[in-house]
Amino acid sequence: MPSASRAQPARIAGGVAVLAFAAVALAFPSIAPNPYILSVGIVVLNYAVLSTSWNFVGGFTGYISLGHGALAGLGAYSTGLLVTKGGLPSFVALGVGALLVAAIAVPIGYAALRVRGASFVIVSIALVLITLLVFQSWASFTGGSRGLNVPRPFPGLLRPEHHRVFFYLFLALLALALLVWWLIDRSRFGLGLKAIREDEDKAEALGTPTFAYKLVVFVVSAFFTGLAGGLYALWFGDLDPIFQFSILTGSYMVLMALLGGVRNLFGPLVGALVVGSALEYFKVEFGNSPLHLVATGVLLALVVLFMPDGVLPALGALLRRFSPTTDSSIREVTAAELAAERATIGGEQHAQPRNG
Amino acid sequence: MPSGALLFQSVILGLLLGGLYALLAAGLTLYFGIMRVVMIAHSAFLILAAYLAWWSHTELGIDPLLSMVVTVPLFFGCGVLLQRLLLARLRAVTLTMMSVLLTFAIAVVVEGLLGYVFSGTQRRIQLGYGSASLELFGARIAVVKLIAFGLAGVALLALYLVMKKTTFGWALRATIQHRDAARLVGIDTDRVAGFGFGLGLATAAIGGTALSLDTTIYPSLHWHWIGPLMAIIVVGGLGSVPGAAAAAMVLGLAQSLLQIELGTTWAQTVFYLALFVTLAVRPQGFFGGRLAQRF
Amino acid sequence: MHSLETVELTKAFGGNLVLDKTSVSFQHGKVNALIGPNGSGKTTFFNCVTGLIRPDSGRVSYAGADITRRTPHAIARAGLGRTFQLCRVFPRMTVLDNVLAATRPRGANLLRGARGRAETDRARGWLTKLGIEHLAGIEARNLSWGQQKLLELAGVLMSEPETVLLDEPAGGVNPALLDRIGGLVRDLNAEGRTFVIVEHNMDLVMSISDHIVVFDRGRPIAEGPPSMIRTDERVLGAYLGV
Repeated sequence: MPSASRAQPARIAGGVAVLAFAAVALAFPSIAPNPYILSVGIVVLNYAVLSTSWNFVGGFTGYISLGHGALAGLGAYSTGLLVTKGGLPSFVALGVGALLVAAIAVPIGYAALRVRGASFVIVSIALVLITLLVFQSWASFTGGSRGLNVPRPFPGLLRPEHHRVFFYLFLALLALALLVWWLIDRSRFGLGLKAIREDEDKAEALGTPTFAYKLVVFVVSAFFTGLAGGLYALWFGDLDPIFQFSILTGSYMVLMALLGGVRNLFGPLVGALVVGSALEYFKVEFGNSPLHLVATGVLLALVVLFMPDGVLPALGALLRRFSPTTDSSIREVTAAELAAERATIGGEQHAQPRNG
Repeated sequence: MPSGALLFQSVILGLLLGGLYALLAAGLTLYFGIMRVVMIAHSAFLILAAYLAWWSHTELGIDPLLSMVVTVPLFFGCGVLLQRLLLARLRAVTLTMMSVLLTFAIAVVVEGLLGYVFSGTQRRIQLGYGSASLELFGARIAVVKLIAFGLAGVALLALYLVMKKTTFGWALRATIQHRDAARLVGIDTDRVAGFGFGLGLATAAIGGTALSLDTTIYPSLHWHWIGPLMAIIVVGGLGSVPGAAAAAMVLGLAQSLLQIELGTTWAQTVFYLALFVTLAVRPQGFFGGRLAQRF
Repeated sequence: MHSLETVELTKAFGGNLVLDKTSVSFQHGKVNALIGPNGSGKTTFFNCVTGLIRPDSGRVSYAGADITRRTPHAIARAGLGRTFQLCRVFPRMTVLDNVLAATRPRGANLLRGARGRAETDRARGWLTKLGIEHLAGIEARNLSWGQQKLLELAGVLMSEPETVLLDEPAGGVNPALLDRIGGLVRDLNAEGRTFVIVEHNMDLVMSISDHIVVFDRGRPIAEGPPSMIRTDERVLGAYLGV
């Protein structure tokens, strides 16, 4: 860890930013000028939850999933179908739906995680393509291309109030996801995951059950992604396979997490704020032209090529430059020091009883 | 029980389809073999080549097959540039993952540009010989499918000859098998990798042209192809060109036969099923032979 | 009887037979060395024993149990730790975290903080023993080669292996450091740890080993104490091609 004095400005700035965000977020429904802006806020929050959920896998293990859009879509549809076909109350359906997504993630993870990252990525893309195929074709069950209409959980509410309630629900979900990410980050499980990211064979050689670890974090990620998808279904009310199982949504999640910084708790959130707002803005100004595909691709390419660690680490490094360095220097041991050490170790040995 | 004639026709069509898949998958697995790169943009370039073939036919009146005279060297050059200028910049440690994102970004950009320039309207080449077909022992086979298969066959043969008989091909195979060892022997692996990429995109140019002959094309069509192609290269063994070809024939045949019972859409699921089974049972692929590794 | 042994271990890469029905038995509680000319199969042997590569046929057993088909992490948990020929550390983790990553939490312990008091003290203990405690907060990728070797060793030792497999510990290391590593091996051996060391540096091998196994072209050609191996004609023949 960097020595205390170097970290202080960065930590203080970080803390202030988090508090500021929390304050703005809590007050947002009141300060938003109209219900449309509020709904944009919900969309951005949804992106934030999705990219944070993605970051359980991407940030800790370093495995890039391009298929989380499918998991979100599965969460949306399972919640929707449990309400419409299963007759469950909305929020019970939400919970059960997310658990179903987590359950599906087990066999998917089994196939995808047994070997290295290349196979994982391929499976993740295939997942989106096949779920799109299935949900479009199985019209009798899922509504097919006509879509699925999910009844609102609070039918009496007017639109502004509806948005307001869901804004806070999404905020709560985001807080929960951030909390769990933070818990894993500081835990031994998290350290094992990061070892996998750094050198999977080495982690395995040290005794880490890499497959089991990867599978668990994948299921956790799927669960939160499913929750986000399900909550979206309850809020938005209209599901269409083409939008739910969009590889583009999955790529937004990746772009946001990458832009903000995958090794940071708040990285995906920052990325979601930046990219999400930009997306909504462009949608308003330019409509749904294919150029926003070009913009997404170019932005992703730029981040990958020039800023693979994301914005937050770059900011952190910048802030650290403005503080005095008291780092210990890296030095090789001199022969004299070595001799002195050997004398000490030899002394210790005589003091201990010898084995055998 | 489908009739013998129908079965026979499906088998023939499956083999023809498999041949085309083999060419398309060969390029895809080549990128992985050379550089451990999952080149998601391969199918986007496929569709780009198809669009160029369509455009040259519609605007310039040229037979789409002739467009290859331009597209093949053009795509070869693109491949070299892509590898040297973009992919070579990525850090070796996270190469596979970052290359996925980079090639994904490229695919999305290509799709966006296609949509912008040609709009989202579905396009199809209207060829004079487009509806002609041959009778072969009771099976009705469209001439364009035979041409596509012929193209694929010739291209694969050329690829085979390049890989086995030329110095470049030898250097390429050495780079695929063991990059460090190749470097020690004096091979300029960076240059070889660049040309290898060019070769891969060149096959995309040929494949795309073959595709344009009897497929309706639209900008997001590449997503329709990358899934099955990736499944094929995994089943065949990542990095193995013969493996990809073998897997392509098998899966193409399976898809064609399943189409009889399940229809086009559900028959596509055979690829994803094969992908899942391969990774669960034998992750290094079934046809990769001695090169087979677990990625 | 806790001992590492292989029975007719065979591995071929393509047409290249690297391990040829290799049957070796290493002495428990001793410092064993595995020497032989380049290409004689030593590192492949290590990789098969530790589960990184699957042998074509044959058996590996440790502490009486057949570990041939086990995953690397199961083998590590059975008590076999190893270092790598091309030293492997976790580059973007700090030196301290590199060592902490070697703990093996189970069940509920997984969710406990990674940098708890007890583990950190133990980790720092190993860092001190290897003389790199002052580097604890530095990212591993910023260390010199020698320092990384020491770090790798610290990490392996943190996992408290019963038997330690060292793959060319002296590779690219200066004489002072070599001395330190040799001394460390002897001290740890005196505490009860078994060592199997693949090494080319004959001075090191002769000075610290109790038992030497010589490989040539995939099979053991001689075995014995240093004094015997030093003068064995077969060994000289293998190295000099006589």
